[in-house]
Amino acid sequence: MYMLEAKGIKKSFGKLEILKGIDFSIARGESIAIIGPSGSGKSTFLRSLINLEKIDGGDLVIDGQTVVENGVYQKADEAKAAFNKLGMVFQNFNLFPHKSVLENIILAPVTTKKMTREEAVPLARELLSQIGLSDKENAYPYQLSGGQQQRVAIARALALKPDILLFDEPTSALDPELTGEVLAVIRRLSEEHMTLVIVTHEMGFAKEVANRVIFMDEGVVMESGTPEEVFEQTKNERTKAFLSKVL
Amino acid sequence: MTFQTVTNELLEGFSQNCQLFFMTLLFAIPLGLIITLGSMSKWAPLSFLRRFLPVGEAGSSVGRFFRKTAVCIVNFKPIRCVTRIFVWVIRGTPLLLQLLVVFYVPGLVFNYPMTQRMPAALVAFAINYAAYFSEIYRGGIESIPKGQYEAGQVLGLSKVQIFFKVVLMQVIKRIVPAMGNEIITLVKDTSLARIIAVAEILKAAERFSARGVIWPLFYTGAFFLLFCGVLTILFGYIEKKLDYYKG
Repeated sequence: MYMLEAKGIKKSFGKLEILKGIDFSIARGESIAIIGPSGSGKSTFLRSLINLEKIDGGDLVIDGQTVVENGVYQKADEAKAAFNKLGMVFQNFNLFPHKSVLENIILAPVTTKKMTREEAVPLARELLSQIGLSDKENAYPYQLSGGQQQRVAIARALALKPDILLFDEPTSALDPELTGEVLAVIRRLSEEHMTLVIVTHEMGFAKEVANRVIFMDEGVVMESGTPEEVFEQTKNERTKAFLSKVL
Repeated sequence: MTFQTVTNELLEGFSQNCQLFFMTLLFAIPLGLIITLGSMSKWAPLSFLRRFLPVGEAGSSVGRFFRKTAVCIVNFKPIRCVTRIFVWVIRGTPLLLQLLVVFYVPGLVFNYPMTQRMPAALVAFAINYAAYFSEIYRGGIESIPKGQYEAGQVLGLSKVQIFFKVVLMQVIKRIVPAMGNEIITLVKDTSLARIIAVAEILKAAERFSARGVIWPLFYTGAFFLLFCGVLTILFGYIEKKLDYYKG
């Protein structure tokens, strides 16, 4: 059974149709990279999976729970709660600037009563040690580099123990020399069989980490397959043209 | 006419200014928040008519005009509209005039004369300052990046939790300088209450000048200066307290 299944996802901003019927599914433990040119709708698609964008049409099923059916959002509490099984890491980190690193991580688990503070703090420290930032727990986001901030943002998302973690261009706002440390953390999550969906412009990374690569253009999935199929054996002219520009 | 007796009489007047100052803050700070909620209200009761809007571009200019009008009607937000007109009227007319209106209009129009001068002054001040505060709050709330709300949402926080746990402290930090400005203005504005014969400090000083002693009138400046000095130090302290993070 799929962890998440989307069928015929449609989304327009005014007259502009951004998503023209996207089919997508991901099994537990899979890592999927979504690539494609700017404006192809890949970020919008990712955001609609976690309810940051309202879709106009299509079905969305999360962990067996129907969340959207034929463009209609289900009202039941279980349907709304299903989005909480997803976590998200943003391009611009979006850490809470007024909270220390530790507070950033424990805020949501404690506020949503998923954990007590006594449970959340050791978990947060454990996560911080995994991302190599144990010495920064009392620092504020502005005191950290972009790469460190993004690693904290990943830890913050992991603290809620999501079933799927979505990454929206996690390294696009970083200096080139800082992308490596963030990619290393994501790579480790993939090795631990965390279910990941990564929108990225890092082709080398997509090739190495993803089990499956999806190429999107102009609101449709142009091609989907293993990294080898997409990067090396593609027959699709659009994919070829895109890859020749970025590789 | 000793310095001591003048000081005592002026102090008695200034206690009225202080009373008006603190009471105005007590009422205007929360009232301002209510006005902010109104002026940011998204309630559009006619939005259900959206589905009747003609789709596509109208050809003629008359058609475009009707379409624009229809869009305006569908998007009409009555609470926001009423609140913003209210703020416009309050900020667009002199406080002096508002004092006169509050004090005289109940007697003239409703045959219900105001006998208490201080409460009348307080009503006018609280409404006037609440209108200004509401715009400061609104500016502060709207300056918080959308990413902060999105981060809260994907972490499973409710709208109320996002406001109190994520946004509020950041808003407070951003509005402290503007609020300090407004509150210092309020100190001096309290002397306008003499127009409806509140026995405040300038009124007390005028009693001396009526007897040919001019200097107490200038001496009143020292009281305001001292009070504003204390406030300046206080706001400097608050800003410093909130300076533990940037952003």
